[in-house]
Amino acid sequence: MVSHEFGAAAAWLVWIIPFAASLAMPAIAKWQLRPVGWAAIGAAALSAIMAASLLPGAISGSEVHDQTSWISAIGLEAGVLADPLAVIMANVVAWISLLIVIYSTGYMKGDPNIARFWFWMLFFIGSMQLIVLSDNLLQVFFGWEGVGLASYALIGFWYRDKKKDHVGQEGRRVLGMLDYYSPTHAGMKAFVMTKIGDVMMLAGMFLIFAFAGTFGFRELVADTAWATAMSAEGLLIPAAVLLFGGAVGKSSQFPLNEWLLEAMTGPTAVSALIHAATMVKAGVFLVARLGPLFFALGAAGILADQFFEIVAWVGAITALLLATQAIVNPEIKKVLAYSTGSQIGYMMMALGIAGLSEQFADGYTAGFFHLISHAMFKASLFMAAGSLLHIVGSRFMTDMGGLRRHLKKTYLFMWAAGLALMGAPFITTGFWSKDAVFAAVFESGSTWAMPIFAIAVITAIITAFYTTRMIGMVFFGPKSEHVKKREAAGHPIHEAPLSMWVPYGVLAAITIGLGIMGLAFEESLHDLFAEYLDGSFGIHAAHYTGDSVLPGFLSGLNPVALGASVAAFAGGIGLGYAFYIGRWVSPARIVNSNIVFYAIHKLFLNRWYINASIYWCFVVAPLWLARGVFRYFERTAIDYGMNTGFERAALWGAKVIQHTQTGVTQSYLYVFGAGLLFVALILLI
Amino acid sequence: MAMDYALLQAVFIPLFASPLAYMVGRRYGMGAATWLTFGVLLYCTVLIIAAAIDGGAEERYPWTQMFGEFGLVLDGLASPFAIIIYALSTIIVLYSRPYMEHKFAEHHAADGSSQTQIQYVNQKSGLYFALYLVFAMGMLGTILATNLIEFYVFFEVMLIPAFFMVALWGDGNRRKISLMFFFWTHVGAVVLLLGFLALGFSAGSFDFAAVSDAGLDPDIVLAAAVAIAIGLGVKLAAFMFHIWLPWVHGAAPTPISALLSPVMIGIGAYGIFRLIVELLPGAFSELAVWFHVWGLVTMIYGGAMALMQDDIKRLLAYSSISQMGYLLFGIGSYSVLGLAGAEMMYVTHALGKGLLFLMAGILIVRVGTRSLSQLGGLAGKMPITAVCAVIGALTIAGVPPTSGFMGEWLLFYGALETAINEGSTLRFVTFGLGLVATALTMSYMLWMLKRIFFGKLPEKLGKVKEAGWHMLAPMMVLAGFTIVLGIYPDIFLEQIVPYMGGVVDGGIGVEYAGALEGIPSPIDGGAGH
Repeated sequence: MVSHEFGAAAAWLVWIIPFAASLAMPAIAKWQLRPVGWAAIGAAALSAIMAASLLPGAISGSEVHDQTSWISAIGLEAGVLADPLAVIMANVVAWISLLIVIYSTGYMKGDPNIARFWFWMLFFIGSMQLIVLSDNLLQVFFGWEGVGLASYALIGFWYRDKKKDHVGQEGRRVLGMLDYYSPTHAGMKAFVMTKIGDVMMLAGMFLIFAFAGTFGFRELVADTAWATAMSAEGLLIPAAVLLFGGAVGKSSQFPLNEWLLEAMTGPTAVSALIHAATMVKAGVFLVARLGPLFFALGAAGILADQFFEIVAWVGAITALLLATQAIVNPEIKKVLAYSTGSQIGYMMMALGIAGLSEQFADGYTAGFFHLISHAMFKASLFMAAGSLLHIVGSRFMTDMGGLRRHLKKTYLFMWAAGLALMGAPFITTGFWSKDAVFAAVFESGSTWAMPIFAIAVITAIITAFYTTRMIGMVFFGPKSEHVKKREAAGHPIHEAPLSMWVPYGVLAAITIGLGIMGLAFEESLHDLFAEYLDGSFGIHAAHYTGDSVLPGFLSGLNPVALGASVAAFAGGIGLGYAFYIGRWVSPARIVNSNIVFYAIHKLFLNRWYINASIYWCFVVAPLWLARGVFRYFERTAIDYGMNTGFERAALWGAKVIQHTQTGVTQSYLYVFGAGLLFVALILLI
Repeated sequence: MAMDYALLQAVFIPLFASPLAYMVGRRYGMGAATWLTFGVLLYCTVLIIAAAIDGGAEERYPWTQMFGEFGLVLDGLASPFAIIIYALSTIIVLYSRPYMEHKFAEHHAADGSSQTQIQYVNQKSGLYFALYLVFAMGMLGTILATNLIEFYVFFEVMLIPAFFMVALWGDGNRRKISLMFFFWTHVGAVVLLLGFLALGFSAGSFDFAAVSDAGLDPDIVLAAAVAIAIGLGVKLAAFMFHIWLPWVHGAAPTPISALLSPVMIGIGAYGIFRLIVELLPGAFSELAVWFHVWGLVTMIYGGAMALMQDDIKRLLAYSSISQMGYLLFGIGSYSVLGLAGAEMMYVTHALGKGLLFLMAGILIVRVGTRSLSQLGGLAGKMPITAVCAVIGALTIAGVPPTSGFMGEWLLFYGALETAINEGSTLRFVTFGLGLVATALTMSYMLWMLKRIFFGKLPEKLGKVKEAGWHMLAPMMVLAGFTIVLGIYPDIFLEQIVPYMGGVVDGGIGVEYAGALEGIPSPIDGGAGH
């Protein structure tokens, strides 16, 4: 048990160390390029150790809350809040960051702009931990924008916009919009699109602040008079939904999901860290932070059901929408990106359903457990994909094929992490967490339980299918022309260096290792959160105690959910095996066999036309409108109308006056006399 | 430890140093004139900062029977304005040197003058710094004035040197543009003067205090307030009165653009604070919602027009219009934090837009073009400029940890607070649209950065080099300060918030105070306990 002072210092240092290190990076790089990577590893490790030192306290259920004055002019304080939720999240972030930082030293080797890369990576880690450990919304927003900024900078890291750094197929158009993005375009798109979510979040924050006079999480729980007042004005649900808008943007949920695909232009280490394991989870974390707060208001008779319904449905829609697109995409990173958004949909679904159920802790734990397991297996998959990109020199899976004999380690690790994504029964974390989500949805008793459950199961089938497809396309079948050409040119296919495969190997191993004791892990997480929710929010929970029909180690699991998840896995992997590993049927033949399949394929490949529609409505149309106003109002009415118009009027006036200057004395005298007469007349009358 | 006559010195030393700068420039060259100007302004800046740290200052001197006293006041409202005006003026002196040298050399070649280039440059630099000093003192005087006529005089004093600097060393059709500048701002000033005369003659004195205590007929007050708002609206370049701004800020020599655009036009906002919010609270309560809407329209209009520009300086000029919209929007928010946010926006806009204009100047000198379509990929060639420009752009876009966010969140929060208190649908809508406009701001800023610094490097820019330290050091100072202020806004908020609180409690309408009851306001000590 660590002392409170030490705990507080550690909670501050977890995010201050990466920030300080990020500032030191350019200076170190100026001095010597070699030690920069080591310094980054050191900083990430130190931060991770600080996070780990908080763990014992969190497990024992205590929390660290430390404040200091900040904007004293309006009485705002800065602080850290290391409660179990934050500490677990901080550890997930810190340790995965450390592994990815190690991976990056191999992946980014020889890049001349390495100092910039490290600056932003560490800046990102600091900002992310700031989100996790802040004790108030305003400070969270600093981290929130910080991760957005780092994401913008790292997506566009290769800012020269070389052809190899683009995503999409060159020249491909959807509804007339080019589906081919440069890194700088992608970074901008990500920043602006998440900004839409961010302004919603700001609006939500402000609404709450206007009534509560505080941004602090603990203060908001301590006195809920603000919620009563807001509820009376009908502003509570809007505020909650607006805050969720921030999460939708950051976590790439429908309808703000389209930026994540283009975010794949960043270095793969970045995709693994920011766009799979951590930043995109910030939205989930925010919902996990605020969800209990809104749920606990139920005790005071203030229901926030609509909020939770929106969360659950957004999650469900996103899960399905993005999974369908992952089936058809030829780029490995994009498949993983779709998958990330889809899996986050599961988390949102679980957190949303938690609020609609009596057993809040069940859904809550399920969502968060899925966050943890997804962070591990998806980071592993992304790093492995980066390794493939590195080895093969192409982002297209059609340029790979038949690699399993050359890349034994990567092949093995991708299977392990891939199985977790598919939810392979009993041995992977992914299975247990997904099963927990299924069970939470199924048992919730909400009116929406069945449709959402159905979507969840369908999505699980699709997930297993596209993951198998990915592995099949990369490792099975004949070698592609691209690989043959590369080998002929003297670039034999060989495994990536140690610093690269070890990190994803470690994560893949943990995925399986933790998976074997997954149920026990889930139960302890559940107990921890149940205690936390009870202690901090007064949400009482009883674990599911229905009569167990399942024998042995499976007792306590919901049989329907279990059956559904096993069946979904089997169905998905079976189909995928038939098409892409066994290659008994050609997928192209199926697609072209009739118009319906063809149309569906096209719909998925064209991203349901959502991306193109967004471009038309929010880029093309406003620019067109602005151009019209510029040409026909600013240029004509303002510039010509006012400036030139005034000039003409003045010139005309001058001319009129000029004509009176005749120089003829008689006419001057005549006007003078007329004037005198006029004055005299006025005086007389 | 504020010195005696500190404010008087701060205003008049630059004025008296102005002819000196002219002579020094002619005789001892541009370097000497630069450092003289820098020294004078630095001294005055230190005076102002010392007085502000000391809790403000107030100096009154006898003037004429007719107008009242000649006073100089540095209070919670004035000190952030005053500090930013002089601090920016001081560091841009350094920047002026290489930029204007480049400009004078261009003119020398074009004029075919019989002098040698050095003689020519020295002579012109003397004139430049002489005008520069008067320009700076005019701006400061306006901020510190305590009397309507005094305000008006300084208001016009800053116009004259600016006019000459545009006319002499501007780009494009500079004579015509400078005349346009003079004409429109002068028309605005005349309307302003009408408002002043109406107030002064009905109050019997032109002192602010006298006007405030006079208990004037509300109709006259409202009419005067409208006249003042229109007059200052021209200075602010609010929508429909922005005619002159894109031309002038596009054409002015870049160091002057960097002062005109954020610092000088924002004085219009200062005028609204001082003359309408503080002096005529009754009229303000009626006009606030109009300011709010006018501000919103200006925000969106300026941003949309900025998207359409190819010339960097014109883009930045339209961006300034949009930012002035934010200020008006905040003033119209009619709440303590909204008003405080608007003043913060002035400070942060000065830093951010200053940075971006300095960037534009570097591109003009080093690359030789200001057309976005001919730029690209320069981040690798000029990394320090790029970093500073990104910080500037983020400041304008209101992204933490830059100071832009500290202005923006207060401003929008204030707008929302009033919307809730008044239960006004209109204000809810303007609040929402205002937030959406921040996404527009972000879009044009990021797009600008992309077109200048990222993407492919055009072949002919292969030999571009980073600017010298005269140009970089001012940018680095501004960039550093915007981040410090973004993390620790108390530097200014500690002065601004109490002042705004006083204005709202003491001045703003009674019905507002009533509406506040029942809802815990963060100002009344609700927050953070």
